[in-house]
Amino acid sequence: MPAPVAAVGLVMRAYPQDWRERYGAEMAALLSDREPSWRDLLDLVRGGVDARLHRLVKPPTQLVAAMPRREVVMAVPLPRPYGVVETQPIGELSRRAFMRRMLGVGAGILALEFIGGTLAFLWPQLRAGLGAKFAVGTLADILAEQPSFANGWPYAVGAARSFLINVPAARELALGHDASIPNPTADQMLALYRKCPHLGCQVPGLCDELKRFTCRCHGSTYNILGEKLKEGPAQRGMDRFAVQVNDNGVVVIDTSQYTFGNLDRQDVKFLSFVDAAPYERKCQ
Amino acid sequence: MGGPVLGSDRSTGDLGRFAEPALLILVSLADAPKHGYAIMTDVNAFAASPIGPGTLYAALARLERRGLIEPMGPEDRRRPYRLTAGGSEALSSHLAEMRRLVQVGRARLGAADG
Repeated sequence: MPAPVAAVGLVMRAYPQDWRERYGAEMAALLSDREPSWRDLLDLVRGGVDARLHRLVKPPTQLVAAMPRREVVMAVPLPRPYGVVETQPIGELSRRAFMRRMLGVGAGILALEFIGGTLAFLWPQLRAGLGAKFAVGTLADILAEQPSFANGWPYAVGAARSFLINVPAARELALGHDASIPNPTADQMLALYRKCPHLGCQVPGLCDELKRFTCRCHGSTYNILGEKLKEGPAQRGMDRFAVQVNDNGVVVIDTSQYTFGNLDRQDVKFLSFVDAAPYERKCQ
Repeated sequence: MGGPVLGSDRSTGDLGRFAEPALLILVSLADAPKHGYAIMTDVNAFAASPIGPGTLYAALARLERRGLIEPMGPEDRRRPYRLTAGGSEALSSHLAEMRRLVQVGRARLGAADG
């Protein structure tokens, strides 16, 4: 498909002035012989960029050499007649061209800032905050800091905004039994996200009386495994992050893997775990 | 891939991606002077990869700057170019270099090629 003539004229402007003076006519002749394709135009643009990057055109030395010596001698400066407009010396920038160029530079900087700001805004923060993997420590570290974790009490992990739950021990605790299970596997632990699924308040720790979680904002109540109970407006149980134990025995909470809590179906028979307290009670 | 003659030059730097078009242009001008369009059709007839007008003139300008080719007086709007003495010398030594490369390559590929 041949390219339109106007496009050819536009593309020739990619070349610098001295190049067009030297080669412009013969290139135009070539292009009128050839019916340039779009591919040719692309080639010309690349050539224009190349010509601007490298000074390829020889200064016309032959012309100066060919000039009769007499005329060179005659070229003494004459007094300028009144009313002659000063022309810009070649190679110097006029005020107008300078202002125009600075306007372009300013617009360019503004565009760069805008693009940079957009990228920075969209850049994911995977090293810190939610979405990252949090190394909690080995079970020995956790138990050293909070021995009651073995008895089922939740271990708060501030950075991951989670409660780490030792599930078998927690069940015993909520049923009112006294058990010590110091070595749960990864499958036997839960990380409950402490953001209440109702309106996002931080869910406080277990209450001593019922061994349940109750959000202080609107009273949504969850059992020790984070399942929604009768009381409160939340529509589902507390959300869960994946828990892994790596080769060194370090417990890791992966907050990029996320499971919603159970749907609140307003009946005790839909729960996976029923504790000792009545379904509709909440902590005082 | 220009080799020692066309590849680099202390005054104007490396020919870079224009080394191959430059060689094709020198070959095209070896028998007679030609103008831009004639070079282009000629090169596209004997070479595997066609060259566009921008590449052609970028290479022409470099060759001219190095004194390997020179412009002649314009005919109509077209301007023919011809090889200079330096240009034909550079071309023949480059071709000799390529010939040597061909011989070495064929020898190493073995007698299977004939």
